[in-house]
Amino acid sequence: MIDPINFVVFSSMLLLIGAYGVIRNKNAIVVLMSVEIMLTAANINFVAFSTFYNVLSGQIVVLFVTTIAAAEVAIGLAILLSLFKQRGTIELDLLNRLRW
Amino acid sequence: MSSKDNKSDSDIAAVVLASMFFALLLLYICTEQFSSDFVNVAWMIPVFPIISFGLILLFGMYDPRRGGSFALVGVGLSSVFSMAVVYEVLFQDSLHGGFIESTRTWFGGETYSFEFGTYIDSLAAILLLVVGFVSYLVVLFSTSYMHEEGDRQVRYFGEICLFVGVMLGLVIANSFLLMFIFWELVGVCSYLLIGFWYEKPSAASAAKKAFLVTRVGDVFLLLGLIILFNTFGTLRYSELFSDPELLAANATEVKWATLCLFGGAVGKSAQFPLHVWLPDAMEGPTTVSALIHAATMVKAGVFLVARAYPLIVHSPDTAIYIAVTGGVTAFIAASMAMVMNDIKRVLAYSTISQLGYMFLALGTGAWAVWHAAEEGLEIHVQGYTAGLFHLMNHAFFKALLFLGAGAVIHSVHTQDMREMGGLRKSMPITSLTMGLGVLSIAGVPFFSGFWSKDEILEAVHHNAEAEGIFGILWWLALLTAAMTAFYMTRLWMMTFSGPDNRKVSEMKPAKDHEETGNWELSQKEVKIHAHEAPLVMTIPLMLLAFMAVFSGFLLFIGDGFGSMVYFGHHESTEGLIQWGIIDHILSSYLTYLSVVVGLTGVTLGYLFYKRSSDGNTILSTSFISDNIVLGPLHTFLSNRLYMAKLFDWFGMRTWDTFAQACDWFDRNIVDGLVNATASITQFFSNKVRKLNSGFTGHYASLTVGGLGAIVLITRVIMPIMGWSI
Repeated sequence: MIDPINFVVFSSMLLLIGAYGVIRNKNAIVVLMSVEIMLTAANINFVAFSTFYNVLSGQIVVLFVTTIAAAEVAIGLAILLSLFKQRGTIELDLLNRLRW
Repeated sequence: MSSKDNKSDSDIAAVVLASMFFALLLLYICTEQFSSDFVNVAWMIPVFPIISFGLILLFGMYDPRRGGSFALVGVGLSSVFSMAVVYEVLFQDSLHGGFIESTRTWFGGETYSFEFGTYIDSLAAILLLVVGFVSYLVVLFSTSYMHEEGDRQVRYFGEICLFVGVMLGLVIANSFLLMFIFWELVGVCSYLLIGFWYEKPSAASAAKKAFLVTRVGDVFLLLGLIILFNTFGTLRYSELFSDPELLAANATEVKWATLCLFGGAVGKSAQFPLHVWLPDAMEGPTTVSALIHAATMVKAGVFLVARAYPLIVHSPDTAIYIAVTGGVTAFIAASMAMVMNDIKRVLAYSTISQLGYMFLALGTGAWAVWHAAEEGLEIHVQGYTAGLFHLMNHAFFKALLFLGAGAVIHSVHTQDMREMGGLRKSMPITSLTMGLGVLSIAGVPFFSGFWSKDEILEAVHHNAEAEGIFGILWWLALLTAAMTAFYMTRLWMMTFSGPDNRKVSEMKPAKDHEETGNWELSQKEVKIHAHEAPLVMTIPLMLLAFMAVFSGFLLFIGDGFGSMVYFGHHESTEGLIQWGIIDHILSSYLTYLSVVVGLTGVTLGYLFYKRSSDGNTILSTSFISDNIVLGPLHTFLSNRLYMAKLFDWFGMRTWDTFAQACDWFDRNIVDGLVNATASITQFFSNKVRKLNSGFTGHYASLTVGGLGAIVLITRVIMPIMGWSI
């Protein structure tokens, strides 16, 4: 059996990559994709420990996470679409009206 | 009298008879179905008017009398039930001087459960007699008197019903707490009714004044109840009064509690110095004044003191304080009544004065009971009985006088007695019945006021041998009796005597007024237009006049009034049963003294205020104002002893200064603290809010950075330093 530390390191790296993507990217669609990467990192942890402990519930949670992530992306894209219709852009640098 | 009036008369007669029949039927069914005792259905008495209050609010507009019929039926039902209880308790003596209590638990806890129910004894019965009888006649009178008000009668009758209902509830409540609830409701109703014409600023402010002044007393009452509850753990009459030894053992608490209770009575019954609201309360409709003065509002204070009697007899200080307050109030109110020109104000001051008599009697009686217990003497005369006897008589003649005054005002559309006179011819029934009321309150022999006033004077005089202050009070009371006879005769003479037309001088614009603006004095012949009130209004007057003349003879029915209403036990009060027996009254020189005093007052009033053939009184205004002694005295009295000014001055000097200090403190210190907190917060948040930049990346990096910081601290720094979470 593969040592779970490998999975933990891998998923941590995925999480950091996703976070970097969220922070650095200007395009809202790429930010959404980065969020998906972060969710995948969490999912890998779930699956890994589910196998390690031989408990199925972790895998069930992954199914739920995937489903909800799909829904979330659908809503996110819808928001971006209407945002684009109104403002003509989805560059996050230009969408900073909601502030102090 | 037009045919329309006749029609409305028979209309009302039908409602009255129907409600009476219905009431008797209901009473029969109740007593046959559930028990043979009327007392057991006493809880229904306040319920009827309160139900009709609700019905009037909902359906009053559909009633041709605008709620009057509902009020007649509701109050009529409770009157019949009251009379049944009165008959059983007073005349059948079914309770043998004891009481009947029925009680239910409303809500309960571990240590205390709030109970409500009825407590019927002779005191409650005498109040039921007064309230039931008088309030019904007042409602009957109102159906005609308030006719001009149109749709606003709905509000009037609704409030009257609630007023009567809560007063009856107050009378038969079985604990001080329940009584206090009704007490406050009575205050609210009086506020509403005094301010009935709320669009008049004077009426609105009079209502406010009545409410606020009585509230001062209510605070004391609540304080007294708190003291009682803390000491004895209950407010139910039957539990409080059952253990005299316990009461005697807690003399200090009882003293303060009874003083506070009396404070409540001072406010409600308009005793000095809280009497200021009652004359202003004349702003309400006259029928409301009649109800307040004769049955509902001010009698509540007397009732409270009489109810707390088992407590008061353990506190001689309170008893003396009550007697002194009563005596002083009786005197100063009578002195003010002598100079008032507004017919209703004369009656208002007369009420204050007569209430003072009642308190004098009650205080005197309580002191006598205490003194007799200390010295082991037998109680000779009971101030308690005398006070309640006067309460009953006063209810009848004062309701009569107020309703009569209402009929007069209704007819001549003025309240100033100087503009009246000569109404005797045009209003024969009103003048005759009011005359009987005047003779009764003046203490002319064989009228009801004579008997009770005489007994009060005798009770006070009896105490004077043991305690000097009662001697002074006796002189005050005697003087008051003379003044009462004087001002009541003055009232009747100024209103009814003399010719009905007379010359009055008035200022008219002179012929050259247009050019010069001059005015000239001219004589004008004035005919006073008046007409007798309709039958609906005179029948209550006649009934009340009958009671005002004959209720005094209750002394001699059966064993006498003293055997119906008394304080103490049958066994220990052998002498009491003799109370009021005629040979005892006739053999006392005090009786003759009070007869002389009363007749002197009547004679002086007649001589000074008889209107001569030109329609003016013999004692002219200029005679008084030119006199070196009477002039200033008259000014002093007609300014109501400058009490209002004194209160204002006192308020401005003390309370206003204090309020301004509070205002400064509030504006600078309290507000300063709040503002400082706000501005400090604002200063820092102005710095911090720049973080909210609007860039998604910034938020995300702050989140990640924060998470990193938490991980760093909890997983790296804390283990190294050896801290644990």
